[in-house]
Amino acid sequence: MSTEPALMSLTAVAQAIASKKFSSREVTQSCLDRVAQWQPRLNAFMAIEADAALKAADAADAALAKGKSAGALHGVPLAHKDMYYDEGHVVTCGSKIRRDFVATTTATALQRLKDAGTVRLGSLQMVEFAYGPTGHNPHYGPVHNPWDVDRITGGSSSGSGSAVAARLTFAALGSDTGGSIRLPAHFCGVTGLKTTVGRVSRAGAMPLSQSLDTVGPLAQSVEDCALLLSLMAGADPADPTAIAGPLPDYLAATRQSIKGLTIGVPTAFYVDDLDPEVARILDETLAVLRREGATIVQVELPEQRQLTAGCQFVLTTEAAAFHKRWMIERPGDYGAQVFMRLQNGLAVSGVSYLEAMRWRGPALAAHNAAVAGVDAMIMPVAPVAAPTIAESDVGNSPDAEAVIQRLTRFTRPINYLGLPSLSIPTGFTQDGLPVGMQVVGRSFDEAMILRIGAAFQRATDFHERVPK
Amino acid sequence: MTKPMAKEIKAMAEITGVPVDADVAGRIAHSMAPAFEGFAAVAGTLPFDLEPATFRLVQAAKVSK
Repeated sequence: MSTEPALMSLTAVAQAIASKKFSSREVTQSCLDRVAQWQPRLNAFMAIEADAALKAADAADAALAKGKSAGALHGVPLAHKDMYYDEGHVVTCGSKIRRDFVATTTATALQRLKDAGTVRLGSLQMVEFAYGPTGHNPHYGPVHNPWDVDRITGGSSSGSGSAVAARLTFAALGSDTGGSIRLPAHFCGVTGLKTTVGRVSRAGAMPLSQSLDTVGPLAQSVEDCALLLSLMAGADPADPTAIAGPLPDYLAATRQSIKGLTIGVPTAFYVDDLDPEVARILDETLAVLRREGATIVQVELPEQRQLTAGCQFVLTTEAAAFHKRWMIERPGDYGAQVFMRLQNGLAVSGVSYLEAMRWRGPALAAHNAAVAGVDAMIMPVAPVAAPTIAESDVGNSPDAEAVIQRLTRFTRPINYLGLPSLSIPTGFTQDGLPVGMQVVGRSFDEAMILRIGAAFQRATDFHERVPK
Repeated sequence: MTKPMAKEIKAMAEITGVPVDADVAGRIAHSMAPAFEGFAAVAGTLPFDLEPATFRLVQAAKVSK
């Protein structure tokens, strides 16, 4: 166990506070010290609330001294993507338009973490309105990758990826509509869980696309993600799309062996045109899973480009509909790229949008048939490690959409199908950049992908490495 | 599936209430062309009785190895 509390995992630090090995103040101060050290280089935080955090930590310590624990995360300081409404706090959504927006409600997912005892450190940077995969933000500046500050974090949960990687927060909520949790997890070398559509309530989370939006955590380890999911998942009267029913024991799943499981690797699309280092790391990942007892088989998936196209129709149309009023009233207050991408939704007719919505069922059925012989699939999150901030700063140039589509080509089909996907750090390039793989499961079977990811992390230490 | 041309996008944007000029319409047509090409094999082929909520049914169906 490290002597610097901020370097511990979420589950370890929660236990350390509960057992009074460290006080919440000591842990919170440790995180704030790292924030002070890294924030000038990373720009990962939108707001740092040091005094309030220490006051809340003291209250948590006082409660614990009286034998009162709020829950599994009592006294643990966290910061989240700045799109989760938190009553009384400014929630910018990474935008100029909402620079001064004060939330009057609290997001259900966030409230459930607060109910478990968390302390608010502040809020984390993000791509404007969560609409972009790189981490650039024209209003608040780009977020930097702690493994190489000249490179992108990925987006849209850019601050979440950067802050968790640099150990400024033990975990962070992100959101994933087209890859926005998995891409920062991949580029920053942390673990990220995109949940099944319907697993976690979206009430109080800024909307981008109601059919595709998902809430999920980024954290150091799979075990941490399992703990957070177990606290957040389940039905919510405020969000009728959140599915009711019994929840699996996600933490128990992380302790299970993968011996006897069958894991599929796509024969095409996800293995095409990979950077050689990503291809090498995919092979090494498969070797680890084999050593842990899984059988690896090749799986021929249905045509993925159609899924990507369907995802784009749904996402662009729904995003444009959410933003229509501001597109008319405040066009100049958007960044150029986000406004350009919102305008793309104007090209999709109502009939085309509904065709894309109607096809989701048959497309998921075809996917389920293709993966019937395996417990989960594994594939790269992106074909490359983190590009530089300069080379990916495409703004609203005519080919910007093509650049964005290339970065998200392995994530969007999963969003269209609504499937859960866990991004885990699986290796490093020769330049020291992290590379992740995504374990994709069946609808609502987060337990299986957590099980596979945890087995991989028991056999490797990529998730424990900390940028200098 | 026919992909919309700049002139058509300009008209659609106007009807939607978010008008764009010809240059922007051309840029949108360029950006969205791959999506229309990608979805071409699906467009116009879906069965009559298929509605979007089918997705929820497929999601909820028990699938085991």
